[in-house]
Amino acid sequence: MRSPIPIFDCHGHLGTHPDFPAWKQGYEDMLQVMDLLNVEVLAITSTLACSNDCPRGNAEVAEVLRKYPQRFRGYITVNPRPPGEALEELERWSYFHRPPLIKLHPECHQYPVDGDYYRPIWDYANQTHAVVLVHTWDSDPKCGPLLLGPIAHAFPQAKIILGHSGVTWRGYEQSFTVAADASNTFLDITGSQSHRTIIERAVARLGAHRVLFGSDMPYLEAAMVLGRLLSARISDEDREKILRGNFARLLEEGREKMES
Amino acid sequence: MSASAIDPAFGEVATWNVFDANVRVGHSGIYGELALETDELLKEMDRFGIQRALVSHFAGEEYDAEEGNNLLAGECQERLTPAWAALPDHLQELAPRHPMAVRLSYGVKKHNFSSAPWCSGELYEYLQEHSVLTLMAREDIEWDSLARLLGNFPRLPVLLLETGYRAERYLFPLFKRHPNLHIDTSTYVAHRQLESFVDKFGPERLAFGSRLPLYTAGAALGVLATARISDEARLSIAGGTLRRLLRRKSQ
Repeated sequence: MRSPIPIFDCHGHLGTHPDFPAWKQGYEDMLQVMDLLNVEVLAITSTLACSNDCPRGNAEVAEVLRKYPQRFRGYITVNPRPPGEALEELERWSYFHRPPLIKLHPECHQYPVDGDYYRPIWDYANQTHAVVLVHTWDSDPKCGPLLLGPIAHAFPQAKIILGHSGVTWRGYEQSFTVAADASNTFLDITGSQSHRTIIERAVARLGAHRVLFGSDMPYLEAAMVLGRLLSARISDEDREKILRGNFARLLEEGREKMES
Repeated sequence: MSASAIDPAFGEVATWNVFDANVRVGHSGIYGELALETDELLKEMDRFGIQRALVSHFAGEEYDAEEGNNLLAGECQERLTPAWAALPDHLQELAPRHPMAVRLSYGVKKHNFSSAPWCSGELYEYLQEHSVLTLMAREDIEWDSLARLLGNFPRLPVLLLETGYRAERYLFPLFKRHPNLHIDTSTYVAHRQLESFVDKFGPERLAFGSRLPLYTAGAALGVLATARISDEARLSIAGGTLRRLLRRKSQ
């Protein structure tokens, strides 16, 4: 099993995990798996930054982008605390991409995505037409999908990817509700739960142009998400949008808007 | 099953003789439209090239063990091997079915019984004596309780379902100590986790599981299809392990 077209993957990581052994997580190992499955580009966020130290984590990403600029894109991962650090990080690594890719992990950073300390980050994302990947989980008070609806309306220039689409069946339903109401939100299909028919439902509810392929490599197995997508009962045209076209388009549209 | 019925992405699976260790059938009061009756389940298995499945009935888990087993008896056929619901005080009903496999639902919101020998010991003794493959979902049993069960009944073949992908710091010590422990692959889905497990313990402790009809079989099959393991190991996981475990009973 292999993707029929080269994939643009919106959700990857760099580094090890605190709560289980990481297998073959080095970026050279990841490149081998990317080649195996036909992943052309993987957008990565530092797990060190998500869990402990953003400045050091983002520096790790910078190193990978320097070595493999054609294969990886880099999210700048920011923590709303301590206040002020996030904007410093966004400026420091602003050369990564235009528009910037920003990763928020309210669950790991233990701070609600709609809290006051996130506001300067959302302002920055709005001004720069950033693509913002937010970790979400079903009904979570810090990162439940429904929290993103008001944010999407308040910061309409930001493109918000609902990481994992809330993970569970109910989390997906919450993500559908948000995405149906805010056109600057997008669903990322990676997650540890692989409910039958959920991709078909996402495409039927929102259209394939709102759904993105994410793997969560090297946390989750990319072949799991690929297997779900390749066997989903959707058209090949829709499948190709999800595998590649949608994320590529998001990056390109943001670049054009920044330049205009 | 015709080869043309198989999803093109999974054409190779038809040659693996897949025996799925984790499937449920029938109406569910919890999972709504995801649940499938037998004819729909078989079509879904056909679509992925899955030859056989070890199945239990949702009614036996969500309502009453014997009610579910009676329904299951009516659904089982050549491709569907029953994993009967079993309870500690239930041997008189269970034994006449000559079970090859049972599925235990300890959970408080399921059948609400203890996994400890003071409660389930007599059942375990019967299952061990008859080499009955014993399935349980990880969410229904605590790790310490599982360790005691494996140690107290070392000849009882246990297949732990739905371990999740973050469990290795519990699982690996258990695998080292207890040869009677096996797991299914339905939620063992971390990056390159399957091939790393095979490197460490071999394929004989792994049984392919899809978690149909709740999950798409495409997920677990995608993981197995792309694992960088030998063909022999892939076939063992796809069905060899489960056939061997069930054969112990028939012997």
